[in-house]
Parts: sequence; C-alpha cells; structure tokens
Amino acid sequence: MVKIEIVGVFLAVILFLLISNLSDPNVRSATVYGSLFGLMALGLTLTYITTKVPNFAYGSFVTIGMYTSYAMYRLNYKLLGYTMTPYLSAPISFLIGALVSVTMYLAVLRSLARRGSSLVALMIATLAIDIGFVGIFGIFSDYLFNAYRLNDSKSFPQLFNADFSILGVPGIVFAAPLLLTVLSLGLLVLLTWTKLGVAMRAAVENPKLAQVLGINVELMYMIAWFLAGGFAASSGSYYILSQRGSVDEGSNLIVGIFAASVLGGLASIYGAILGGVIIGASEILITTFLAQTKIQVTTQFLTLPISFSIGGSEVIGYQKGIPLLIMIATLLVFPRGLVSIDPRKVVRLLRRLPPEMQSRVKGIWRLSSRIFVRFFHR
Amino acid sequence: MIEIGVPIIPFFGIDIVSFTIDFVIAYALILAVSLTLNLEAGYAGVPNFGKVLFVAGGAAVAGAVTGRVAVLLLKINTSGDYNNHIAQVINSANLSLGENFPLSIEILLLGVVLGAMIGGILGLVFSVVAGRENLREDYLGMLLLASAQFFQIFLRSYEPFIGGTQGILVPDVFAWASPCPLGQICTSFHGIVLVPSLLALTGLKVRDVAVLLTVVTFCGLVYLYSEGVARSPLGRTLRAIRDDEVASKALGKNDLAVRRNVIIIASAISGMAGALITFYSSSVGPDTWTRVTWTFYPWLVIIIGGAANNLGVGVGAFVFVLLMRGIDQVKFRFSSFIPFDVNWLEYLAFASLLILFLFFRHEGIVPEKPSKTLSESEIAAIMNSRITRRGDSVKGLMFSSYPIEPQTDASKSDKEQASQDEAS
Repeated sequence: MVKIEIVGVFLAVILFLLISNLSDPNVRSATVYGSLFGLMALGLTLTYITTKVPNFAYGSFVTIGMYTSYAMYRLNYKLLGYTMTPYLSAPISFLIGALVSVTMYLAVLRSLARRGSSLVALMIATLAIDIGFVGIFGIFSDYLFNAYRLNDSKSFPQLFNADFSILGVPGIVFAAPLLLTVLSLGLLVLLTWTKLGVAMRAAVENPKLAQVLGINVELMYMIAWFLAGGFAASSGSYYILSQRGSVDEGSNLIVGIFAASVLGGLASIYGAILGGVIIGASEILITTFLAQTKIQVTTQFLTLPISFSIGGSEVIGYQKGIPLLIMIATLLVFPRGLVSIDPRKVVRLLRRLPPEMQSRVKGIWRLSSRIFVRFFHR
Repeated sequence: MIEIGVPIIPFFGIDIVSFTIDFVIAYALILAVSLTLNLEAGYAGVPNFGKVLFVAGGAAVAGAVTGRVAVLLLKINTSGDYNNHIAQVINSANLSLGENFPLSIEILLLGVVLGAMIGGILGLVFSVVAGRENLREDYLGMLLLASAQFFQIFLRSYEPFIGGTQGILVPDVFAWASPCPLGQICTSFHGIVLVPSLLALTGLKVRDVAVLLTVVTFCGLVYLYSEGVARSPLGRTLRAIRDDEVASKALGKNDLAVRRNVIIIASAISGMAGALITFYSSSVGPDTWTRVTWTFYPWLVIIIGGAANNLGVGVGAFVFVLLMRGIDQVKFRFSSFIPFDVNWLEYLAFASLLILFLFFRHEGIVPEKPSKTLSESEIAAIMNSRITRRGDSVKGLMFSSYPIEPQTDASKSDKEQASQDEAS
C-alpha cells in the first residue's frame, strides 16, 4: 500500500526547493504549475478509483473554473469597476465544477453503468461529454463577446492585474502551493480521521463488502466526484493567474493531467499529487533548460553529414511533449506508477549492476542534477 | 474558349450534383477511417481514442514530402526555402503536373504509401508501449488521447514540417482533371484529352469526379478487406479474444500479437486515408486534425451504425454524413438570429446524439450478428460423410451432443440383429 509518509516527504522537499528560489521567474511558474497539476491529478484519480473509468472530460472541468473566474473578473470590472480576484471566485467555481461533475456522474455514467454498459462505452460517453463541453464553452465565450464586448473571451492572457504581490513576487506563487497543501491535508484528514472518510475508503476498496456493512456506496462515489470536479474547477481558477486560458486550454492540459495520474500509479491519490507536482515542475524546468542551452549534434551516416540541434527558444512550443515522454517512460518501466517503487529495492538493484553500468547511471544522475543545480544554486 | 452554360439542378436551393459529389467523397473518407476503427474497437476490442493521430500522421507526412519530391522532380526553383515560397512553387508545380498524368499518379501513390508507412510505424510504436501485459483499455485510451493531443500541438508549433499554424499547400495531383485556366485557348484538356473534356461539357467539376473515383475505389477496397477479415478465421479469433481473453489464451491464441497486428494494419489504412484527405483538399494544416473531427466522429459513426459489423458502419457513416451535410446546409440560415457561432451547436448536437445512442440503442442501427457456424444437421452430415469414407465404426467418433444417426450397412445389420434378438 502507499507509504503516505514517503510521498509527503518527497512533496515537501520538492515544494520547498521550488519555493526557496523564487527570484527566477521559471521557478515561480514551475511552482504554480506543479501545485495546480497536483490538484488536478488528485481529482482525476479520485474519479478513477471510484468508477474505474478514465474521465476524458476532466480537462473541461478545469476550463469551467477558468471561465467562471474570467467572467466574474471581467464583468465585475466592466460593469461595476470592482476587481473580483480569482481567489474570491475560486470557491464559486469549486461549487459549479463540483455540481456539474456530480450531475455528469449521476445522469450519464451511473445510469449507463446500471444498464450494463462496457468500460469502453463509458469512456466514449466521457469523450462525448468533453466535446459537448467544448461546444458550451464556445457558446459562452461568443455570448460574452456579443453581449459585453469582451474581445479576448475566446483566448485570454493571464490576469496579472487581479493578483496581489508580496515583495515583488506575484501572490499566486504562494497561493497555489497553499491551496494544494490545504486541500490535500484536508482530504488526508477526511480520509483517515472521520467516519465518512473511512466509509469512503471502504467503498473504494470493496464496494460489496461496504454495502453489507450499511455504507451508502453511491453517496460515497458522489462525494468523490463532487470533490474531483471542485478540485479541477478551483485549480482552473488559480491557473489563469499565471497562464493564458482559452476554450481548448483544458483539452491541452489533459496531456499533463493523465501523465501525472499515470506517474502516480492511477490508484493512489497521494501518488497522484506527487506525480502532478513532478510533471508540472519538470514540464517548465526541462523546457526552459532546453530553451537556454542549444545542443548541436553532428555525426556522419554513410558519408552523409547529419547535424541536428536540440534546444533553443523554439522548444517552448513542445512543452507538452515532456509529460507525454514521462508518461510513456512510466508505462514502459514501472507501469504501476511511482508508488509501486520501493526505494530500498532500487538501491539494491543499483549496487548489483556491473561497474560500467553504474558509471552510466551516475552520468544520467549528474546530468539531471545539473538541470537541478542550474535553477537552485546560482 | 466555348462558354457552356453549366446546368444546375436546384433542390431546395441546393445544387444537387455538387452536393452529391461532396457527399460521396465525405462519406467514403469517413467510412474508410471508421472501418479501420471498427476493426480495432469493434472486432479486436482495442479502444483507439487517438484515431486522429494516425490519420493526421499520414496526412502531414504525405503533404510535407510529396510537395518537396514534386519540386525536386520537376526542377522548380525554390530559392532554398520551400515553405516561404509555397504559393508560387506549388502553382508552377500544378501547371506542370496538369500536363504530366503519369507523374501525378506516381506522386499520389507515393503519398499514399508514405501515409501507410507512417501510420504503420506509429501503430507499431503504440502497440509496443501498450502491448505490455498489464496495460489495459483505460491506460491505452489515456495514452492515445494524450499523444494525439500532443501531435496536434506539435503540428502547430513545428514550422519546417507543414508550416506551423498556417499549414502548407500540397501539389494538386488531380490537376490533369481540372479545366484549363481561364483566358487560355484550350486545344486539349491538360494531358488527357477525351474523358475530362466530355465530362466537362456536362458541367461537372471533373477534378471532383476524379477525386470521387479514387476515394470510392479506396474505400471499397478497405470495405472488402475488413469484410474479408471479419469472415476469416482471423476475424473469429479477434472476436474470441475480445469476448473472453482468458479462454482464447487457453486455446493457444497469442492475443498480444494478434492485437498488435490489428493496430498496425488499421493505423496504416488510416494513414492512407489521411494522405487521400490531403490530396483532396490539396493543402494540409494542423487545425483539421482535432479530437472532434477524426477521433470523435469515427466513434460516433460506429456507435450509430453498430460495432463489429461492417454493414452497420456503412449505415452509420451514411446517417452521420447526411446529418453533417444537412446541418451545413441549414445552419447559416440560423446564424442571423443566434448570438453565437452555429458550429458550437453542432458539437453539442453530436455529443448528445452519441449519448442518446449509448442509452437507448447501444448496439447501433444494425446490431452485430452472432457469427454463423454450421447447423447441427450440417455437422452431422459432414461427420457421416467422413465416417462412411473412412469406413470406421461410428462408436469411436461419437460426440454425445450431436444426433448422429449413421445409415451404414454395418449398423443397419446391427439393428436388425438386435430386433431379431428381442423378437426371439
């Protein structure tokens, strides 16, 4: 089973490292990105462990949060001249996202599952819901444009002006890790020390046995979906303070969210938080590392000179490739995710390797630590 | 040049001839892609939620490579920068291709083969990643969906390939069928004289007819192929693996290898379809290849028509394209009094249609039929013929469940003897 302490220590170390070096703007955005991805992956895993269906519409819940906060900020500013920051509207989007999520679960997924639909049919249903959501966001953004003359309603830059700042650092850099910490600690408390949480875990572990014990399994699943939708929407609200938002931004984010969940093992909520933080932080840090260094490779292949270069500023467009690569590597190397790795076994395995392999492993370790050092020990 | 009045047959304000041609082309393309998805998801039980990846892979590679090959072969000056001079380069390539029928066909074939290769390679890569024993439907779905999304981002960002967000033009391999440019005296219709000119007299767009014939031929071949697979022992193996993996493993079927082969074949065909789509529109850009167009719509076709059933997919594709084109014809009449883009309603409508089908008719319009085996009497007849040929006694080969009543002389005499014994 998951070792919550190990995951917690890892998380604390990563977040501390990120927050300890806030003078670098890339580290700032990596902190925000990592925290929010942790929250999103947590929600996705919550829905996955209850219904066992990968929710393809999950990215749209993030977009719900983005548009709720965006509309509240812009409309309040335009009509009343009052700045409603996304921090204030995040609880509202939490509620909206949570209610939509529960509605989706009750109206579509549970009814389909009761009719005996297969897993693939449920997956198609979530895909269809995602497409429907994109349609709804499009209609909403067109409505904002036509009714209130908001020119950037389809695709808007980050809302700098809605944020506060501490010592010149934007507030979101502190608020996002705080949100992740508060929500995940709250979930930990709920799951370990309350009767409801114990009932939820029982419903997830063995639904039939839980039903025999008088636990309302359907209610527990509904609560899980409620929390999942809320987490996604509130992270969407925070997201637009540091990154741009658009109608299909949630669809693009789904690459990273899935990667984070798979990295965390898909079955463990704490693993998902860890995976999310790692994916989010490495997406930004590795991309900026590659953008700052240009690696030129020149070799000869059958008298044909071949030269190609990795890196340079154009790398930034392929940022989403990094979570995808991590996801593929996870699936190939340890498909059960990070939480399936026993650190003692890894050390033992490394000791048993032949010396040349050991030096290669050391080389990889040195390269990755160089990326690390670049950001943390200037 | 002789001016010929083009006969337009109006039907509720729609030009029926060009509508039909458009309709058939769209139908054939979506049907080909849906058939490959049906092969994977319907027969083999491999849910491919990244179909767009394979179609787009074929389309992009065909679009990027064939143009450069054509420019090389026709010795057109690109001043070292193909993508930035694309309009002039492709224009002069089209003029030359229009008079060079064999080269056009070669380039078309090159594109299709490249599309098939890229599709196959992508399929191989993903089946290797997904072919691990502990990878299930959900992992595969997430991997493919994420990869397809990244591929679209890649196409948008990487400019040398197909020109980034704007896309690039592709040489028109059907240029030989287009009527000559206005203002020129047409003694011969480019290259081939007779057939296009005769067809052009009737007012048809000859290029569209050429595209139509190509695409319909391709689609027909794909249909015949998937029907052949469905009826072959391979098809039965696929369905057996889909229905009960453990049982089919116990019978010695290598489920991983069979599934991998199906993914590779289906992806290669999708790549070919992608290449044809590129040649039809004679341009390729990243915005065509979204999750909606080539992942969701083929799934919709399969759900409407009925999975694991090629005829059903044909019906589903027909209904889908009819709805799509119908909405296309009607929607602009609503755009004046609806305060948003009508296209968004299309998304909503198709999403609800799919969910309604899942709720009320999940087996589709044409449900899957149980695979036909021989009837018991036929089996008995076969058994009898074997028995009589080999001259064995029946008792050694007896299956208790089959009512075999051999009419051999030996058994007759046995029965007679028995009755005589009873009588005595």
